Amino acid sequence: MNRILLLLSFLCLPSLAWAQQPVRGRVVDAADKRPLPGASVAVKNTKTGTLTDAEGYFELPVLSPNPVLLVSFLGYTPQEISLQLPLTAPLVISLRQNETRLREVEVSTGYQQLPPERATGSFARVSEERLNEQVSTGVLSRLEAVANGLTVDRGTDARGRLTVRGLSTIQGPRDPLIVVDNFPYEGDLNNLNPNDVESVTVLKDAAAASIWGARAGNGVIVITTKKGRFNQPLRVAFNTNTTITGKPDLSHIPQMTSADFIDMERMLYERGFYNSQISSTNRTALTPVVELLVQRADGTRSEQEVEAELQALRGLDVRDDFDRYLYGTGVNQQYSLSLSGGSASNSWLLSSGYDRNRDHLDAGYSRLNLRFQNTLRLLKRLEITTGMYYTQSHSSSGKPGYGEVTMLNGNLYPYARFADGAGNPLPVVKDYRQPWREAVGNGRLLDWDYYPLEDYRHSRGSSDLQDVLANAGLHYTLPGGLSADLRYQYERQQTDSEQLADAQSFAARSLVNLYTRLDPATGNPVYAVPVGGILDLGHSTLEAHSARGQLNLDRAFGQHAVTAIAGAELRSTAATGSGTRYYGYDAGNLTFGQVDHNTPHQLLTNGRTALIVPGNTLQSTLSRFVSLYGNAAYTFRERYTLSASARRDASNLFGVLANDRWKPLWSTGLAWNLSEEKFYRVDLLPLLRLRTSYGFSGNVDQRRTAVTTLSYRPNVSPFTGSPMAIFSNYANPELRWETSRMFNLGLDFSFRGERVTGSLAYYRKKGTDLFGRELVDYTSGIGNSITKNVAGMAGSGVDLELDTRNIETPRFTWRTHLNLSHSRDKILEYYLSDLRGSSFVSSSPLVSGIVGKPVFSVLSYRWAGLDPATGDPQGYLDGAPGKDYAALLGTDVQLEDLRFHGSAIPTFFGSLGNTVTLGHLSLTARLTYKLGYYFRRSSVNYNLLYRNGTMHADFADRWQQPGDEALTDVPSMNYPAVANRDTFYAGAEVLVERADHVRLQYVTASYDFTKDTFRGLPFQSLQAYLNASNLGLLWAANKRGLDPDVQLNRFPLPVARSYAIGLRASF
Amino acid sequence: MKRLYLLLSFLLLVLPGCDSFLDDKPDQKLAVPATLADLQALLNEHDRMNHEVPNVGEISADNFYLTDADWAALPNEQERNQYVWAPENLFPPQDNEWRRNFPPVYVAATVLETLPAIPRTPANAQVWDEVKGQALYYRAHQLLQAAFVWALAYDTETASTDLGIPLRLTTNFNERSTRPSVQDTYDRILLDLEEAVPLLPPTRLHALRPSRAAAHALLARTCLAMRKYAEAGQHADAGLQLQPALLDYNTLDTAANYPFQRFNPEVITEHFSWGVSLTLRENIARVTPALYASYEKNDLRRSVFFRPNGDGSYAFQGSYGNDSPFGGLATDELYLTRAEATARAGRVQEALQDLNTLLATRWRRGTFVPFTAQNAQEALALILQERRKQLLQRNLRWMDIKRLNKEGAGITLQRTVQGRTYTLPPHDKRFALPLPEDVIALSGMPQNPR
Repeated sequence: MNRILLLLSFLCLPSLAWAQQPVRGRVVDAADKRPLPGASVAVKNTKTGTLTDAEGYFELPVLSPNPVLLVSFLGYTPQEISLQLPLTAPLVISLRQNETRLREVEVSTGYQQLPPERATGSFARVSEERLNEQVSTGVLSRLEAVANGLTVDRGTDARGRLTVRGLSTIQGPRDPLIVVDNFPYEGDLNNLNPNDVESVTVLKDAAAASIWGARAGNGVIVITTKKGRFNQPLRVAFNTNTTITGKPDLSHIPQMTSADFIDMERMLYERGFYNSQISSTNRTALTPVVELLVQRADGTRSEQEVEAELQALRGLDVRDDFDRYLYGTGVNQQYSLSLSGGSASNSWLLSSGYDRNRDHLDAGYSRLNLRFQNTLRLLKRLEITTGMYYTQSHSSSGKPGYGEVTMLNGNLYPYARFADGAGNPLPVVKDYRQPWREAVGNGRLLDWDYYPLEDYRHSRGSSDLQDVLANAGLHYTLPGGLSADLRYQYERQQTDSEQLADAQSFAARSLVNLYTRLDPATGNPVYAVPVGGILDLGHSTLEAHSARGQLNLDRAFGQHAVTAIAGAELRSTAATGSGTRYYGYDAGNLTFGQVDHNTPHQLLTNGRTALIVPGNTLQSTLSRFVSLYGNAAYTFRERYTLSASARRDASNLFGVLANDRWKPLWSTGLAWNLSEEKFYRVDLLPLLRLRTSYGFSGNVDQRRTAVTTLSYRPNVSPFTGSPMAIFSNYANPELRWETSRMFNLGLDFSFRGERVTGSLAYYRKKGTDLFGRELVDYTSGIGNSITKNVAGMAGSGVDLELDTRNIETPRFTWRTHLNLSHSRDKILEYYLSDLRGSSFVSSSPLVSGIVGKPVFSVLSYRWAGLDPATGDPQGYLDGAPGKDYAALLGTDVQLEDLRFHGSAIPTFFGSLGNTVTLGHLSLTARLTYKLGYYFRRSSVNYNLLYRNGTMHADFADRWQQPGDEALTDVPSMNYPAVANRDTFYAGAEVLVERADHVRLQYVTASYDFTKDTFRGLPFQSLQAYLNASNLGLLWAANKRGLDPDVQLNRFPLPVARSYAIGLRASF
Repeated sequence: MKRLYLLLSFLLLVLPGCDSFLDDKPDQKLAVPATLADLQALLNEHDRMNHEVPNVGEISADNFYLTDADWAALPNEQERNQYVWAPENLFPPQDNEWRRNFPPVYVAATVLETLPAIPRTPANAQVWDEVKGQALYYRAHQLLQAAFVWALAYDTETASTDLGIPLRLTTNFNERSTRPSVQDTYDRILLDLEEAVPLLPPTRLHALRPSRAAAHALLARTCLAMRKYAEAGQHADAGLQLQPALLDYNTLDTAANYPFQRFNPEVITEHFSWGVSLTLRENIARVTPALYASYEKNDLRRSVFFRPNGDGSYAFQGSYGNDSPFGGLATDELYLTRAEATARAGRVQEALQDLNTLLATRWRRGTFVPFTAQNAQEALALILQERRKQLLQRNLRWMDIKRLNKEGAGITLQRTVQGRTYTLPPHDKRFALPLPEDVIALSGMPQNPR
């Protein structure tokens, strides 16, 4: 101990001599020598430290002759510098940008780049690196697995709907606003090439999003594209990959067995169900089994023949034919090449991308992207930015999938065959009865058979899209920290689509036949629809102009710093469209026929007359916005930031009084860099920042207006030749904007050595004046429901994002990234005019409108089991089991008699990614999870089964004899079907399942070849990667193996797995 | 700094121009109904204005029957219930004939509320009047069709207390529906039609566009239902003065599946329902055998109205519209109404003349022997018999049964399904069908007593 004291005093001695000599220096960016204001400079092993000033200078009292300085700045690699005092030359410390770190912290709102320490709002930023863990043609599909606070709702919308922090509206538009660089993107989002994206920022709270005003109520997603940099040598980057998607597993389709289906058809036949169809002059198609039974009855086929044929059909399964002849492997290819560079006065980037996809049904998609971006420093103070983004894509239809080969536009019988043993295409029954078709024309009609394996070659659709986006910006630096921006963007997207049913297609042949009149004298056909193809051409153009003038202030004086922007914006989006139909089209010589659309023509089937639809349309829509906005942040001592933002929007909403157009929206926020405080001494947690914000945003639906509006029909009446109009909106003078208030409290932290960094945010939101569907007494003549500002809702939640470095050695690292969100919503007020239980139970989730319950609630009828004598489903009427279905669906069962399960939207969701690197090898696996919600599974519906052949495999488990009620909940087959019985069963509690599940979203492996290990490598970097995605459920709460994400689809087919291999290089 | 001012003044200059920038329509097809052309366009939407009439009256009447198998094969129990005059659950919730009956009433309210804001000038007076007349006609038409189905037959004794049809006269959909009396309902119908008569053009511009003849024809039908026979006869006469044409059935193609063309000369205004109930589809609705047997050999209606099904039963194919039942107004109905009115007034010869004028066009050429009658009673019986035979599947039989029972006809309806016989005796409360249960729940209106 004594020795140590001695040593210490020895060390202290020389330092005393330097006590009065401060060290002065400057911290700059290593690349462009730009000063770094606010960089931290500290003396190692002491408590001495300071921050650099606006010009990057610092001054430190130093007590030792050879001190070690620790210099750090957010987004830069910290440096340790050993000094020999006194200094012989001016001390300039160059910090190198730490690219990954910089990208994690800098956020773009589309109006400004925000330094993180001054941001009061909640942002979730997804870096390029993290986005690139997935391989896909589009950008947005990658976000679900990696972005914080964002999920895709597949519980209420089969197509999947991006939602940020849960619901903010009930009936209004629910999609977040997508911004690319500076302006909302008006074109097709599939146009964006993911290789052009540098980062994606999700603006989650009011302070972050309110700058976007009226359209920000559902959150904003800002996509930032790559740019060139000043003073950068030429850089070439190349990326290519190929993705193989497997066939979907059709066994997930709950199809009835052919044997069951045939038995059911025989039962119906014997009960006379088909009698009216058999005798009908409409000649609507009957399935092969029914035709066989008809033939047996009229003696044209013998009993044995029919039984033998039925026996053969019982063993068939149409899914086998779909799998064998129609589904295949999908292949997506992607290439991208970019060049970028920059001098002191110019930076530029040129990139190109090409994608070529062929899905498992042979539908094609190809896309070409060309992009040029240039920034020119014209004068010392003037910067001009120009950009151009060109997209061209082509998509084409493929083979029909399950559910797309239909009989009478409904369902196909399960014993259909598409090909014979030798693979020759077979016809399936389509619209009209086969025996009639064969007899009616005496061979004078066109072939009336439908061959699924042939028809898609003759009935094709394709569309071509071209999108040009051009922008220009002027940035002028004024004295006093002021600068001005003028930006303009023009976008034009043109889509040409073509739907051709050529002369050989079933659609064209059938229509020609249907309108053929056979001359009674000669038997010759007389055509009302000319023989040939039917060509539909569609053309649509979207043209958007956006202009913005903005003043920026960025000024620091003493301990004060102010950043502010104020501006005005005009946006106008015009869309026009037209559609034209040609009958009797011949592609070979570009001829087409004339059709009389105003005279009813006789139908061959039943002799009634009908009009031939013209199929021409014209459209023109226009949406315009004018906005004024401002945003200011004041920072004191680098510790306290107060921000405020306000915006007013006006639009050309139809039928709104002019003074209702302007809607003021605002937000305010506060940030406190706690770790910068003098009293803050938590070494373990060197970064701790508290943020809070409160704001007010709006949501507006262009379709809803405050006066009665009518919409003219595209075609005049074929009979009277006069224009016709229908109501498109009913007068609703009380209609107002939806408003939503959001409070946000956030915490950013970083543990020592950045072992754990992350942010935690809590939010509450409250929507008022929300659009809600109000059931109206339809005696009013306006339909069943009307949209009004009748609702209020509250939401709250927590978002946690964590990055941890679990193990970090030079050879081996293990990092984890966790997104955990909790989001709840409930109805605060809702005008309910009807409390019958049946208004709250539906096969697809409805807005429940029950105060205190989630907006989308799953409710069900209480289940009293199957009737042991009949297998009828039973509910509760006055507390006792009952099966008066009209009463169960009527006023006897009220809302309070229902069972409430929970939300139809996940209340907990997020993802967990783990990345392990071993030398040059890196492996990432990510799972996503959605928890705390419910779904309703489908089951058998006898009414629809008899009428349309809508099947469900539960049929096999139905109650068949007394005693079965102990084993199954599937009701017995009844005839005649009672729709209310099916409706009751579909809404019963036995069909509600927990939807909680965890899935393995993707696994990516990459190997980096670097010059260090591979000398002579012609690249600066080369990476080979493998990716497997949609790997399926790891766990699901329901015991039936159902994937809750696909239950709203017509057929619950899980997304097929895909495997990608790729190469990324730069030099 | 100067540049800053420049920029600010630019913004200030641009923004006041915004209001005109924001005045352009978001959709070119949109309009706020404000001009006569807009209102006429709403009235022209014939799928809504002309082709939404309730058919459930015809389903409840005695012109057809279903086989047990076809009854069981009906997809909804509500359709099965309608067939057997069940006391409740006759209409599926949300989408049913009640709902489809009322949109034209809303259109009428829109037109009648908008018109006062459009100055009536000498230049537009004719169009202005026609637009108003059409709105009144459509409202009256829909209310009358609803009254036939959902209210009891008009009876001066009880009309002021019997439950009628909601009169939605304004566009305010927040207003609660209430049930006025049957008297109020018919009063409104008469008021609307009498106001419409002078406003409408005398004869049809098109069978889809109401005319003065149509207003008279509808008045004749209304008065007949009210058993005000003299007025019914006067209006039938007024209608026939304007449009007397009859279709000679000898000119029809008897071999065709559907011998009648739409908009034939007898049609005054076309109405029928596109969404016709499955029950009435010709492939299952078999003509009542006794009714079919009542057509004589030389009566062309025997072959143009009916088609053999091949099993001894017959299907009806004689609709004047595209689909059965034709619910519109036609001159044949007016001849029969005028004949009935004159017969009831004791003017036998006048009555028989109308009947024979009509029937001459229904008989095979050269075979028609004019009908005769000894007295008014006999003439009336003949006329009512021919009324049934001419106006089947026209949405009129149900009203006729109801009013004739009031006259003491004592028509009892009976249907047997799967061995069970259902009976509807005269004056049964079920002659006013129950309103859809969900409408009752939503509006709080009283249900028709059972």
